[in-house]
Formats: sequence, structure tokens, C-alpha cells
Amino acid sequence: MKEKNMAKADFVTSIFLILFGLFVLYQSLQMPRFEERHVNPYSVPGLVPGFLGIVLAFLGLVLFVRSILKGGHRLELTASRIRDFFLDESTKRILITIILSVGYGVFLGKIKFSILTALYVFLFIVIFDYKRQKTLKDQWKIFLSGFIVAVLTSASVTYVFRYLFLVNLP
Amino acid sequence: MLEGLRMFVEALGGFMTPKALFDVLWATQLGIIVGMLPGLTATMGVALMTTLTFKMATSNAVLILICMYIGAIYGGSRSAILLNIPGTPANAATAVDGYPAAKKGLAGQAIGIGTTGSFLGSLIGMFMLALFTPLIGNFALSFQSFEFFWLSVFGVVICGNLTAPKDPLKGWISGFLGLFISMIGMENMYAYKRFSFGWVELSGGIALIPAMVGAFGFAEIIMVMKYPVMEVVKTKIEHVIPRPREIARYWKTIVRSGIVGTFIGAVPGVGEDIAAWVSYDLARRSSKEKEKFGKGSFEGLIAAETGNNACVAGAMIPVLSLAIPGSAPAAVLLAAMFIHGVRPGPLIMLEFPTFIYQVVAMVLLATTAMFILGLSLVRTLVKILLVPRQKLMPIVFVLCMVGSFAIHGRIFEVGVMIVFGIIGYYMRVMDYPIAPLVLGIILGKILDPNLRRALVISNGNLIPFFTRPISAVIFVITLLTIFSRMQWFRNLVSSATGGIKRLLKRS
Repeated sequence: MKEKNMAKADFVTSIFLILFGLFVLYQSLQMPRFEERHVNPYSVPGLVPGFLGIVLAFLGLVLFVRSILKGGHRLELTASRIRDFFLDESTKRILITIILSVGYGVFLGKIKFSILTALYVFLFIVIFDYKRQKTLKDQWKIFLSGFIVAVLTSASVTYVFRYLFLVNLP
Repeated sequence: MLEGLRMFVEALGGFMTPKALFDVLWATQLGIIVGMLPGLTATMGVALMTTLTFKMATSNAVLILICMYIGAIYGGSRSAILLNIPGTPANAATAVDGYPAAKKGLAGQAIGIGTTGSFLGSLIGMFMLALFTPLIGNFALSFQSFEFFWLSVFGVVICGNLTAPKDPLKGWISGFLGLFISMIGMENMYAYKRFSFGWVELSGGIALIPAMVGAFGFAEIIMVMKYPVMEVVKTKIEHVIPRPREIARYWKTIVRSGIVGTFIGAVPGVGEDIAAWVSYDLARRSSKEKEKFGKGSFEGLIAAETGNNACVAGAMIPVLSLAIPGSAPAAVLLAAMFIHGVRPGPLIMLEFPTFIYQVVAMVLLATTAMFILGLSLVRTLVKILLVPRQKLMPIVFVLCMVGSFAIHGRIFEVGVMIVFGIIGYYMRVMDYPIAPLVLGIILGKILDPNLRRALVISNGNLIPFFTRPISAVIFVITLLTIFSRMQWFRNLVSSATGGIKRLLKRS
């Protein structure tokens, strides 16, 4: 990340950190102190999290001040910049990876493991290998290789984990 | 000493069975392959292997994990030399001289020298592991809650400091976030569920393995998929086995890098990457051929590879003696030991005295296997680097998924892995190191009960935290670690040393 963008990212992160630290501190103060059980006040559950909340808020504050000194508070968020970000090739690749993987996680346990795994691997390969410029006919190899890798992965992972490592699969 | 040697020989003899030797070979070879492939790190390899071996006998499982660890740290040098992309972060320094050497047509020699450096580094680390673990273990027996509290804070601070050389603040933020994450779930004094918000799954806390598989595995998958395709150097691989004279030339560099690598390994959370860089930097400073560094210097290559593999054994010293990991893969190793019922820490010398020497024997076996396998099958294994990433990464993700699910059989932990993967990716993008976060998750479990216990013992009095001798020393080192990164402190130190020098000159 470029230094200017880093300062902006630091500015946003620091605000989140300060708020998060204060939230942790508030939650810690709300935790029970078991006075009715005559518990030693230095052993209460909220003590250490409260201390950590203060440290996190303080570190966030240092980051906040530093990011402002570097001009990070001038976010300059415009519609065109946001659009450029989402149209960037690497952003697209990241989002596809995350969406496919999160989707796999969401359907885990709801669809049969071997089918879900094969589907995930197949989609992953085809989406990343497919080129819009070429026709579907020219790219049949991608579908074939994706299918073969997907079936082999699904079958071998299912077999190795279930029968060799005796792991119960979802 | 002799007792230690006897236990070591007995442990080594115990592993001389066909099954154990077969395990050593396949696990080390798998480790080399995992290390070679960019996107598969040693941490991820050890974490995934933990989930596969948790039904095995303790010694077999730990043996396999150590072989995977040593193999992966070494294996990363292959892609560093041939692709200029370190297979694991530990091999970044290797790429600086390994890749230019490969471009000159010396890929075979570079691989051979790197392998020998890794072998010798690992051996030096092994000797120091055998020597220092019992000493530190015995010393740590005098630690009480006050000392363990400071040790946890020191671990997070030093790890944050060294893993984020550009910006230690981000290292410390990462470390303290890790400490906070360990607070989630049921605490062990009053069984109160902290930060669970009525969510039953969360009240069990965040388990280390899924968090690590996510932060090191899934985050790496996203990172790898972001970048364009890499190209393998087209070169003939010849003369892989190095001549003894080539190695003997650099004996000083090897010994120095081995010792430095081991010591850096022993510092909590500071892993093989830092060990390799420091060894490389020291080698460059003391070299007679400084100008060759960065242009394919074998001395630089051997320094980096000796340093990172020595660090592996070094990282196990605090694992065994203090239950504090020296590096990220060692953190998984520590978690695996707990899963298998071995309790590393100061009591290990009383409870499991033979285990330390078993680990030393495992390191020796893994190192020997790494050396033999590293010098053979070179040309065949290079073909693995040609597998396209879009075909490899979904398979790796499937393994991350199954690995996170396997230990407790909970889909919740798959969710933990995915969330930590996304957090880990954005942390990397914003220059926050991951190692302090992971170390924080482990050290939080030590810090919380020990701080509360210490305060109960002292009845809220903070003075013992600063007056008990060992506590005071750790506190001062922690403070110096923080101040050492601040400009005003550096100016103060340099003006003070300048003043002393002037005074000495006058007198």
C-alpha cells in the first residue's frame, strides 16, 4: 500500500481501535464482581480485559495522532475512486476468492461434503481460468481440467480424511 | 549432562523402527513440498498436520510435526532460488542471493549450498536446544505469577517490535488484539463467559488452530490469488551436491548464523524470517566480499539458510521450557503438545524429563532426512512449482476447511478460520504482522490468571511487580524494548554514550 493510502487506512483503523478499546473497557466494567460471594476484588473477570481495553484505546490514539500528522484524515473519498477500486483487477480477484470460499463455508454441513467440495474446486478453477475474450467453445479444456481436478480432489480428500485419518467430515 | 546424553541415545534408539523412519521420510518430504509452494507456509503445514495426527500416539505425532516444520522451512529456499518468491516468509533473505545465482546458471549449486546451510544450522540449533532447554527449565522453576505476567507482556512487546521493523506500533496493536482474543470465552477462575454475548459456540473461546489456519492459510490464499502468475527460472540444475571445500570456506558465517538464528528463535514469537535477515545482515557486514551480496553471493545464501533452520530448534527452547512459542509454527507445535497431553513449561523437567531429549532426537532425524531428501529428487520436485495457482489454491482451501473442522468437529471453527483469514489478509495489507496476534492468543491464557493471582497475593500492591529481582529485570527489558524504537530515547542514548566517550578521552 502507498504511504498516503496507508495514512488514510491508519486513520480509519485508529478510530475503530479507539472505539473498540472503549467498548472492551465498558463491557469489562459491566462484568460481575461477585461481591455477594466475597470474592477478592483483584480476581474479578473484568480486570484483565479492562486493562487490555485501555491499552488498545491508547495504542489507537497514538495511531490516530500519527495518521493525522501524515494527512490521513483527508480521506478524499469520491465516487470515481470507489468505482476504480472495485473495478481494479486485483480487487476483483480477491473478492472472487473470498466470496467462493465464504460460500463454501456457508453451505458446509448443508450439502453433502463430497459434492460441495467438487463444486467449489470446479467453480474456482473455471472462474479464474475463463477468459471473456475467447468463446466458450475455445475453452472447453478449462471446463474439462476443472472437472477432473474437482472430482479427484473431492474423492481423495473424502477418502483420506474419512478412512485413513478417521476424521468425521461435515 | 551424561544423564541427558543417555536419555538422548535412548530416545534416538526408540525411533529406529521402520515405521518411525518411514514417518520421518514422508513427513519431511511433504514438508519440503509444502515449503516450496508459495501460499503454503510452514505454520499452515504444521497446523494442518496437527489436525491429521491428533489420533496418533504422542511421540509419532510430534515427530511428524517436527519433520514437517523443518522440511517446510528448508523447502521454501527452492522457490526462493528458482522463482524469486520465498516459499515461506523465512526464505525471503535466501531469495536475495539465491535468485541471482540461479539466473547466472548456478541454480544447482545454490540449492546444494542452501541445503547444506540448512542442515548445519539445524544441527547447531539442535545442540543448543539440548543444552539450554534444561537450564532455562530449571531456572524457570523459580518463576511465580509476577514473573509470568511480565514474561507475557515482554513476549507481545518484543514480538511486535521485531516482526514489524518498519512500524512497531502496529506490531504491538496486533499483539494486544491477540491478548484480547484470548479473553473471549469462559475464564478459568469463576467460569464466567466473557464477550460471548449469549452465543454458546463463542463461550468455548477462540481455538488456536482454526485461528492460525485462517490467519496464515486462508489469508495467504487470498494474497496469492491477488498477484499475477510467476515464472520459473529456465536453467539447468547441475552440481547439486556441494564440494566440502565450498562449505568450509564459510565456516565462520555458518557458526555465527547458527548461533544467531538459535537465539532469535528463542525470543518469543520472533520467527525464522527475522533470524534469516539478521544472519544475512551480519554476514554481509563481516564479509570480505560485501560487493557480491545481492548479486548471487553463496555466503549470503548460506547465512540466510543456516539462520532460518537454526531458528527452528531455537524456537523450541521456550516452547519446552516456558510453554511460550519462539515462532508461529512453534506455536502450533505447542498447541499440538497440549492436545497430546504433554504439558511443556517449567515443570517439564519434573513431569516429562525424557520428552526434551525425545524432541532433540526428532530434530536430528528430521534434519538428516531433510539433508538427504534435499540433495536428491531436485529436478523432479521442481516440476511441482509449475502447478498453476488457480488449480492449487482451492485444494489448499479445502484442506484448511477440513483441518479447522477435524479437531473438535464443529462448523463454528470453520467460520473462525474464514473470519481470521479475512482479518489476516487485511492486516497484512496494512502492514500489521500476524505473529504477535497469534502469540497474544497464547500468552493471554498465561497473562490473565497470573496477573489476577499476583494481585491477590500482593493484595493489590503493585510494588512486588517491580521489586522482585527477575520481575524487575523482565520489566526493564520490556521498557527498553519499547523505548529503543523511539527517536528521543535513541538521541538520549547516543548523546549519553558520546559524553562518556569524551570524558574517558579527557581522563
